[in-house]
Amino acid sequence: MRFLLQPLLIALLLVGGGQGQAQEAASPAVQTELESQVFDIARQLRCPTCVSESVADSNAGISIEMRREIQTQLQAGASEAEVLAFFQDRYGDWILLEPPRRGIHLFVWWLPGIALAAGAGALAILMIRWTRAARQTTDLEDTDEADLARVRAALQKEEGPA
Amino acid sequence: MTRLIAIVAVTVGLGGLFLFGLLRGSPDRNIESARIDREVLTFDLPLYPRYQGAFGPTLDLAAELGSKPIIVNFWASWCGPCYDEAPHLETAWRAHQDDVLFIGIQTQDRGKRAEGEAFLDRFAITFPNVIDDDSRVSIDYGLFGVPETFFVRSDGTLLYKHTGPVTLDLLEEKIAELTGS
Repeated sequence: MRFLLQPLLIALLLVGGGQGQAQEAASPAVQTELESQVFDIARQLRCPTCVSESVADSNAGISIEMRREIQTQLQAGASEAEVLAFFQDRYGDWILLEPPRRGIHLFVWWLPGIALAAGAGALAILMIRWTRAARQTTDLEDTDEADLARVRAALQKEEGPA
Repeated sequence: MTRLIAIVAVTVGLGGLFLFGLLRGSPDRNIESARIDREVLTFDLPLYPRYQGAFGPTLDLAAELGSKPIIVNFWASWCGPCYDEAPHLETAWRAHQDDVLFIGIQTQDRGKRAEGEAFLDRFAITFPNVIDDDSRVSIDYGLFGVPETFFVRSDGTLLYKHTGPVTLDLLEEKIAELTGS
């Protein structure tokens, strides 16, 4: 009986130990995932004490505290939208590096499209005009017969008698 | 002719925009608080020992709201302009302490208790000062830097936020607005 129990106990210990190792190995992965989430959100926030730097890029004291706050909220189960709303509530829209897609900010989102469409429209109009102008200067079908005769006479005069 | 005027107008416009970008210097940091006319967020922070006799070990803002207006000043021991404004804050506090509560918050200054004590000693600050060691309250108040001063009505809503060092004139003006005197 003892011979049977000993291998069983060893097997149980090995399995238990293996599980423990697996859990320990998962911990850094979870931590890395959390840090990645923290930086994803921090990249969307403007550092309050810096110029043109995100909370993710800045090492200012306030940015470090803000990253810590993001981590605390994520660990407490908050979603990305909830964390962003938390900072927006305290700092206003200014804190968001990407302007929100509402109100006057919509203009900023539409502007590149409007500019592109206006540019394409202007180019199209110019090309139509240029094409028409080129056709008018080369198309002899619509040219007056009397004008053509004058041009031929002038050319002959220039070339002189053959 | 019309085409020439259009080209000149566009060139001048773009050139003007470029020059504006070059010459405007650093962006304006005096951004209005997002919480104007809204209730301020409360805090319960540890007090420097010298003020604990009147308030206990911590100062709970929720317990102070409702009785009189409150002026909340954020400072740090490394901040030069905080040294400039500290005497004005103390003068205004001594003149109006019956009508307005002043609260100093040392923030963005983790672990700098000795430096904080030295700052309070230097200006003989008698209004209560608390320690926001992890800067959590500075985030709640949407702080851009130090010093910043928040003027809170007695109903707990925010009247005005001042970025940079306060002057005695500004303090007097805002206290008059807060107290209606």
